[in-house]
Amino acid sequence: MEKLIIGHFYPDLLNLYGDRGNVLALLRRATLRGIEVEVKRISIGDDVSNGDIDIGFIGGGQDSEQNIMADDMKNVKGEVIKQMIEDGVVFLTVCGGYQMLGQYYEEHGGNRIECLGALPHYTKGEKERFINDCIYEIELNGQKIKVAGFENHSGRTFLGEGEKPFMRVIRGHGNNGQDGTEGAVYKNTYGTYSHGSLLPKNPAITDMLLELALKRKYGEDYVLSELSTEVEDLARKQVLDYIEGGIRAAQ
Amino acid sequence: MGLKAPAKAAALITKGILRVMGRGATTMPGKVAIKLCPDIISKCARGKKIITVTGTNGKTTTTHMITSMLRTLGYEVITNVSGANLASGIATTFLCDKPSKGADPDKTVYVLETDEAAFARIAGDLQPKVCLVTNLFRDQLDRYGELTHTRDLIANGIDKTSAKIVLNADDSLVASMGKTRSERATYFGISLKTMIENNTLHPNKTILEASSDAAFCPDCKVRYKYNARSFGHLGDYECPSCGFATPSKRFELSYDASGNPSDEGFPFTMTDTVSGKACDMNLKIAGSHNLYNTCAAVSAVTRFLESEQGSEGGTDIIGQVCRAQDNVEAAFGRMEKIAVGSKYICILLVKNPVGLDRSLSFVAQSSDADSLMLVLNSNTADGKDVSWIWDVDFESKVNDLPSNIYVSGQRYGDMMLRVSYSGRTVDGYGTLEYATTLLKGALKDCPDGKCIYILPNYTAMLDLRGRLVKELKLKEFWKD
Repeated sequence: MEKLIIGHFYPDLLNLYGDRGNVLALLRRATLRGIEVEVKRISIGDDVSNGDIDIGFIGGGQDSEQNIMADDMKNVKGEVIKQMIEDGVVFLTVCGGYQMLGQYYEEHGGNRIECLGALPHYTKGEKERFINDCIYEIELNGQKIKVAGFENHSGRTFLGEGEKPFMRVIRGHGNNGQDGTEGAVYKNTYGTYSHGSLLPKNPAITDMLLELALKRKYGEDYVLSELSTEVEDLARKQVLDYIEGGIRAAQ
Repeated sequence: MGLKAPAKAAALITKGILRVMGRGATTMPGKVAIKLCPDIISKCARGKKIITVTGTNGKTTTTHMITSMLRTLGYEVITNVSGANLASGIATTFLCDKPSKGADPDKTVYVLETDEAAFARIAGDLQPKVCLVTNLFRDQLDRYGELTHTRDLIANGIDKTSAKIVLNADDSLVASMGKTRSERATYFGISLKTMIENNTLHPNKTILEASSDAAFCPDCKVRYKYNARSFGHLGDYECPSCGFATPSKRFELSYDASGNPSDEGFPFTMTDTVSGKACDMNLKIAGSHNLYNTCAAVSAVTRFLESEQGSEGGTDIIGQVCRAQDNVEAAFGRMEKIAVGSKYICILLVKNPVGLDRSLSFVAQSSDADSLMLVLNSNTADGKDVSWIWDVDFESKVNDLPSNIYVSGQRYGDMMLRVSYSGRTVDGYGTLEYATTLLKGALKDCPDGKCIYILPNYTAMLDLRGRLVKELKLKEFWKD
């Protein structure tokens, strides 16, 4: 079998709040199934073409570091990323990476920063920062699952036409604190505000992304093999109990 | 004059009341005094000899080392307790900690661990003789904001003083503060030769690189080129665009990279590249990060003594300082092994990614490590966010970690999964209520003479200490 290639975009610039854990989760749950994985670091100065990667990951960064990569993303890799998204390459994007795929980011002071425009959402910066442990709900294979996450953002994102929310907010603020939506889905591209890291504690999402990528690689008949989620479930349950009930309930 | 006297009286009364109530009095007296007399710090600091220690990691250990060395060299030293490093804690230190009777004011030094943001606000009031900046790593970003912002805060503070500044040359963020302040800056760091040897002998074998800080020159937005690395973003770097590079170091630490800095008494050499004087020394507090802390402390003390004596190098001051380092001991309850019968436990406080990275590396290299216990809380003082555990490269160290790993704390689930995704399974887990049960079990299975290393974050450490005394019947082994 060919290697599954994970493209980690700007890992030396966009690496806040444990986003590295998402790449590790994809890597672990694939290699434990005997699938060979290669993680490609794709940063400033690295070339990437459509067809090079099976799963793309773009995290969030500090403002100064996002400013460093923004030019490269828009002017150098932007068209390739857009093509990949349109062609159905699987992407997970978090916070800054998610915002940057959208139309624009309007700063709190009114200054408008044009984004990649790969997805129809847009974002407005506000003064108040949402910093919270979160609980979301996602429907996967007809089953509603609770997702444990962590948010840390001052941007409010509003979904555009043709975009569906990735998840629903149970606790926390999600996209904007108003409409109960969290993140976005467009084709095989997923955006979310959940750091935390999102994937390790939520293996159903990890497996969904892996399966999407492998089906794309080997055809619709590809079925991801069973793999225990015992440790992940235990960790998620402990954290959900902690978030829902505070320290007392978790004890 | 003015409000200083009543503010001081109020601080002392507050301290007395808190003590009677059995509460710690490390910051509240200062808080009360600052309320009554907002310029109390500048009033107290006037005419005093002050060394400040700031930076995200190693402040407490380095402050402790400087204090110990100056005492050995015959100075009366007043210092703040670990953690009490905001304006309130520093005011408390001035008001409540007195030099001993008959101490010569000329031989009395205040060594103050100072929080990065607090430093910006009070450096002008303190007017220190020497400001030491250890390093800048990501540390509770939701509280402090961006690293370049932290760097600018410290630089603003420095500009309100005429202090000599002692900077870590290997940290691009710290060293950049010397760019426009070169006449008063002195740099320290690890020798390039040692770094290269270390990189050759111990290549990084991770499957996924750790999340890095400061990979790019903030001015040119161009990636630094590294000739060698020590850890994290510390190393020998150069910006291909503006040419900013690791400044040449006056104080340079070198060692045999085939040795193990986790060994007590690890031998190394400190060289004053100005005078060419080299001192052979032994590491008093083990761990590769403590090589930096020792280097920082020796540099700061040497610069302080030179300014006292009006000399600018070339004397044997560094020789005296290096000899004084021989008397440094591990701070009470930190990096200190506590005997439990014929076995040991050792607590290493970890607060941020690089701290955890260095502690894991230390434990992985420790020859006496039998078990590892990771304890993670998420109270306000820890930062509510525990996601940083994923930024740490467990993967490169995991095969060298002890055979038994336990996890505890409010967020033991997160830590258990972190260990699991590194490729290891945990041998026991539970909240802090269960921690001493886990420890008792670990101690039972621990061979004589071996050690259980416990890595808690801040409130987890406070909680755990109490339990060790109550439930494991240990003596109070720490001193704040």
